[in-house]
Amino acid sequence: MMDERPRILIVEDNSADVFLIRTAISSAGVDLEIDVLKDGEQAIQHFNEAGAESSVPCPVVVILDINLPKKDGGDVLRHIRKNSRCKESVVIVVSTSDTPGDRLEMAQLGANGYFHKPSGYGDFMKLGDMVKGFLVP
Amino acid sequence: MSASEVKALTALFAAGTEAGGLFRTMAEALPVAIYMTDSAGRLTYFNDAAIKLSGGELELGAAHWCMAWKLFLPDGAPLPYEECPIALALKGESALTGIECMAERPDGTRFWFTPYSAVLRDSEGRITGGIHLLVDITKGKNAKIEANEQFRAIVETTPECVKIVKPDGTLLFMNAPGLALVGAATPEAVIGKSIYDLIAPEDRDRFRKFNERVCGGAKAVLEFDIISLQGVRGHMESHAAPFRHVDGSIVQLAITRNMTRRVDDERASLLLKAIVDSSDDAIISKDLDGTITSWNKSAERIFGYTAKEAIGQSITILIPDDRLDEETNILSRLRRGERVDHFETIRRRKDGALLDVSLTISPVKDAQGIDIGASKIARDVSESKRTERAIRTLNAQLTTDLSAMTRMQLLSTRLMQVEDFPVLLDEILGTGVEITGSDMGNIQLLEDGVLKIAAHRGFGASFLDFFRHVHAGEAACGLAMQSGARVIVEDIVVSPIFAGTPALAVMLGAGVRSVQSTPLVSRGGQVLGIFSTHYRSPRKPGDRELRLMDILARQTADLIERKRAEAALLASEARFRQLADAMPQIVWTTRPDGYCDYFNERWYQFSGFDRHTFGDQGWQPILHPEDLPACREAWSTAIATGNLFNIEYRFWDRQEFRWRWFMSRALPVRDAGGHIVKWFGSSTDIDDQKRVEEDLRRANRDLEQFAFSASHDLQEPLRSIKIYSELLTSSYGERLDSQALAFLSYMRSGATRMEMLVRDLLTYTQVTKFERPLELVDTQQVVSTVLENLAGAISEARAQISVGSLPPLRIHNTHLQQLFQNLIGNAIKYRSPDRTPSVQVTAENRNGQWLFAVKDNGIGIDAEYRERIFGLFKRLHTSDEYSGTGIGLAICQRIVDRYHGRIWVESEPGQGSAFRFVLPV
Repeated sequence: MMDERPRILIVEDNSADVFLIRTAISSAGVDLEIDVLKDGEQAIQHFNEAGAESSVPCPVVVILDINLPKKDGGDVLRHIRKNSRCKESVVIVVSTSDTPGDRLEMAQLGANGYFHKPSGYGDFMKLGDMVKGFLVP
Repeated sequence: MSASEVKALTALFAAGTEAGGLFRTMAEALPVAIYMTDSAGRLTYFNDAAIKLSGGELELGAAHWCMAWKLFLPDGAPLPYEECPIALALKGESALTGIECMAERPDGTRFWFTPYSAVLRDSEGRITGGIHLLVDITKGKNAKIEANEQFRAIVETTPECVKIVKPDGTLLFMNAPGLALVGAATPEAVIGKSIYDLIAPEDRDRFRKFNERVCGGAKAVLEFDIISLQGVRGHMESHAAPFRHVDGSIVQLAITRNMTRRVDDERASLLLKAIVDSSDDAIISKDLDGTITSWNKSAERIFGYTAKEAIGQSITILIPDDRLDEETNILSRLRRGERVDHFETIRRRKDGALLDVSLTISPVKDAQGIDIGASKIARDVSESKRTERAIRTLNAQLTTDLSAMTRMQLLSTRLMQVEDFPVLLDEILGTGVEITGSDMGNIQLLEDGVLKIAAHRGFGASFLDFFRHVHAGEAACGLAMQSGARVIVEDIVVSPIFAGTPALAVMLGAGVRSVQSTPLVSRGGQVLGIFSTHYRSPRKPGDRELRLMDILARQTADLIERKRAEAALLASEARFRQLADAMPQIVWTTRPDGYCDYFNERWYQFSGFDRHTFGDQGWQPILHPEDLPACREAWSTAIATGNLFNIEYRFWDRQEFRWRWFMSRALPVRDAGGHIVKWFGSSTDIDDQKRVEEDLRRANRDLEQFAFSASHDLQEPLRSIKIYSELLTSSYGERLDSQALAFLSYMRSGATRMEMLVRDLLTYTQVTKFERPLELVDTQQVVSTVLENLAGAISEARAQISVGSLPPLRIHNTHLQQLFQNLIGNAIKYRSPDRTPSVQVTAENRNGQWLFAVKDNGIGIDAEYRERIFGLFKRLHTSDEYSGTGIGLAICQRIVDRYHGRIWVESEPGQGSAFRFVLPV
């Protein structure tokens, strides 16, 4: 197995949000490599490759949007939890939706966290603390 | 005869219909046993006399003809059932009438009867059954038997040999002493055999002549020898007299004395006299001059002369004057040696009364064979003649009645089978003319106050033309119509009814001398017409005729009423059909059992079925297979319970080549007694309606889906606008001028407002998402939560909120919360700046519904806006004055609608508003 620094994977199609997520993570003092994928299909493909070859790294944290082009966040999460190598990855679901139904569904699929995207900058930055919380040993 | 016809006939009688009533009336009135059978001989009807005669219990449909009797012919031979006259008649063999039979009842008693049978035939001439009359003739028969019994008593008590010998020498009878004399151990040893075998051969010729003479009617004495069965010779002396045997022939009755044993001669002679005297017949002898020489007891009884008075008189004292030559005739026949047997004539009694007698006259010869006189046996047959005449009259009457009954019976059957009214009227008239024996007749119907001839027999054109229209009071029929009672004119020539009227000449011209007119009266008492019969000679109709007329008139009136009711029904049905055919719906009716008996025009258009092949299952071929079980079940439930049939199903639209939705409803039609007589149903095409509903549902679903997605998708860019304008302000604020900062602020507040709109719109669309809960929701608790949510606003406005007692409701928690939150929120928001806001939340029960009110002392609403404010995005103020999306009250309206309630506002501008809503409990 390759001994590399842990990586964070952001699966988010909205560049504005990608920027905010990155800012939130770095603002929280988490200094990890960040990969970004723009749709669900790419994400699933990524995890399929990671499951097959040890050269492709498993992310320690996945920031997963629900509403994604092609395959949605739920599908991606299902794949992650079935993946032989990466099923232990921390998955934080981010969504504009705040319905109890969505929260429950994601929890059942094995999400570790659920972050409702706020419409204030300060509030959005709280995502960084949530990520950091999962990384502290 | 088919089972259904038997049933129909039996039912006819059982139901006491006119026809049955008629038959019954006649049958019960007749003093003879009458019963009816079907072609298999099973009883279908019997009268009281039949029950009495049978001596047992009769059961309809089970018991057979002749019931449980054993039958015998007059000679005592048993008569098998299948050979009895009734069975023969039913087999179609010529019906015997008038024969005599004897029957033994189950209790062993016997009676004599004469059967009369008539068969009933259907229109094809097949035998469908029979009407049978049994006349009890036991009484007459018993009289004969009694006489025989008397004879038997005498013979069996005498110690002398008494025997009866037929003219051919056959021994018919011999008593016990006689059997001992000839040495016979049993009667069978000699009875039925020739007596000559017992006579000594040298005496046989003499004995034969002696026997023939006695059987010829003469008394005689003979001495002869016999050889007994044991071969013992004995010398006998026989005193013999002619004797009428039961079969009517003359035989020798002899008392024989065993001279060998010297039995007293005189005693035998006395015994013979006793027997002669005991005879039921008069036994008289006379000489050649006609002078009476002997005269027995019965002669005294029959003719009224004592022996003393008669002996020595001329026989002519017994002969009526107009028959004197008869005696001469008889005497000359006797002289020629002829015997006169069963000569029926009339003789005169001493009191002058005439008698019917049957005579047997034989010449009496002396030992040398020379005529010395005549012996005469006279039987009084007056009684039997009278009986015979009575029976003949009765027979004639019965035959007439039977044929009348058969006619009426046939007519009754025709009334049920034939539909054609004129044909029926004609048959009724024919029956009437036939059974009353009239020469002509007609039936008139009353139409518009005028009698019009509907059926006629035996009249020509001039009569029919003259009486085409008869008004009240004109002629016999017009009078009967006016009075409602029968009019009888015994002779039109002398009747004031016709005197001086032109009708008289027309009647006479048609050959009418006598007429009777019987009104045809409905059950309600209205005259419907007149039934008249006419006769060529003056006459007064008999009771029997009039009774039959009454019965026929009843039947005719009923028929007319029935036909009129049918016509009325047809007319109303025609009206119904005309209406039904004009309807755009499919209309159908069924019988009470659910069998479809009518479809309207629309059905045939839609289904493409042929009008003549419709029927119960006619709708099935075009019904959607998936809908069939539910439809069947709903229909059978409706039929069973009599409740409304209401179901939606699909029929195949052959023109558009697709299924169409129909709503079918059917209601039972009940008669006055509440019994279902019909089902009336309609099937309405609701396909377009269904489609619109479906489209609407789909559109609603789409809208909800859209709004839901919008709530997410619309919020994303709004969020970015808000965050990045904020980021721009915070990161680059010092590099922007005040105007750029103001623009950024507008941008942010616009995005914020858009966010609120999207959120409220989502709430609005989701109102229909929640189902009505099963449990009651604590309204009081919900309002407390609302007040907590609004705590900031309440304290900011220093509002006073009072909440009354609120009932629990079966309304979704979220809905109830949104409702109160909007109304209480509004009450605080639109407060008057002049006074402390006060809000009251109350509820009261009004006619089973809860009336809620949220009342404030705020700014109020102008009357013209009171409806508008419940519309989506409708606002009365700018966001600068009062914040809001214009969706809050629309949400309230939608929630109340969702639970079939009502919401409105009452307001005094400047004083305050009261938002009220009612919700069903």
